[in-house]
Amino acid sequence: MDIFGLAAVLIGIVAATMAFIWLALRVSGGAHASRNPNASHLDQAEKDVEHIFNDEFREELRNRGRLHFEKIIGENAMFLQQDLRLTTSQLNEFMKTEITKKLQGEFSKYEESITDAKQMAIESITKTQEAIEEQRQMMGQQLLQEIENEKSRMVKRFEENLGDIVNHYVLAAIGNQIDLNDQLDYIIADIEANKEVIIQDLSDGA
Amino acid sequence: MEHKQTLQLPVSVVGITDVNRLDRELVAIDEFLRQGAIREPGTTMKLPKTSKLFDEIVSMNDLNLIQEDDRNRLRDFLRDTQDSAPRLHISFSTDPSPLFLQRLMNYLREKINPRVLVQVGLQPNIGAGCVVRSTNKVFDLSLREDFRKKRRVLMQYIQKLEVHDSKQEVKA
Repeated sequence: MDIFGLAAVLIGIVAATMAFIWLALRVSGGAHASRNPNASHLDQAEKDVEHIFNDEFREELRNRGRLHFEKIIGENAMFLQQDLRLTTSQLNEFMKTEITKKLQGEFSKYEESITDAKQMAIESITKTQEAIEEQRQMMGQQLLQEIENEKSRMVKRFEENLGDIVNHYVLAAIGNQIDLNDQLDYIIADIEANKEVIIQDLSDGA
Repeated sequence: MEHKQTLQLPVSVVGITDVNRLDRELVAIDEFLRQGAIREPGTTMKLPKTSKLFDEIVSMNDLNLIQEDDRNRLRDFLRDTQDSAPRLHISFSTDPSPLFLQRLMNYLREKINPRVLVQVGLQPNIGAGCVVRSTNKVFDLSLREDFRKKRRVLMQYIQKLEVHDSKQEVKA
């Protein structure tokens, strides 16, 4: 039973109450109606009515009406209780469904955002790895270039200083055995080769 | 002027230091003789000692130092040598012996200039040969410079050796 059923039950209870009140008013209204011109008949009828609907009968009717009303009230209360239980259970079910649906939606959004974040993280890591790889390759090339340059520089330096290296080696190897007296002819020959320039420079002066 | 040119420096006189020493000795002898002329007879005088170098220049130029003219000639010659003699700076790897210097000076006086003076230096890193520095120029006649000049030849030999070694490695 939904809310409409509950409203129908309430309307029924209210209608029964109204009918009882109306009956009571009708009964009291009949007393006023006996004041018609035909007063004797009416009084007679009233007396008959009084005789028929005496206090005991009225009391019995009242009791019957009260019992009937209590019965109706009890039944309707029972129906209302059932409807309330049903409504409560439906409401619980509805709430459960709605909450589950909401939670599932939120969870799916959460899962989606986690997936997005994960994807972004993976993309970021991939980009970082690519950048690192690129950097590594670039550094490798630079290192190779530097090594090549250093090698060329060393070779060039070696070639430039080859005379000094050999001279140093000769000095270290046989330096003690080189006698200056043995070199005299060699020295004189070298000076002889430059004799003209030396004479010219000495004659030119400072 | 003509007399000055006739005087010669012995090969033992190598550098300006020797000329200065000769000049000091000559001054001492000159002073001695001058003092001897003005002193009273009978007073003792100490004859200044002369070096072998001084004796050599005197005997070589046939001078009589008793004569004032000869002393003046020698003094003028030495002063002129101090002022205007051409000078060479020659560096060797080791300290040269006196005999070596004599032979070298003999050549220089004969071929370069009869009054040339030499200042001897020491450069152990030149290996062999010498480095001659004249007034305005430097002549590197050392073995080190010779190696530098012949660097290409050395490199060619090294490259040949490398090729030879690589071929042997390929064969092995």
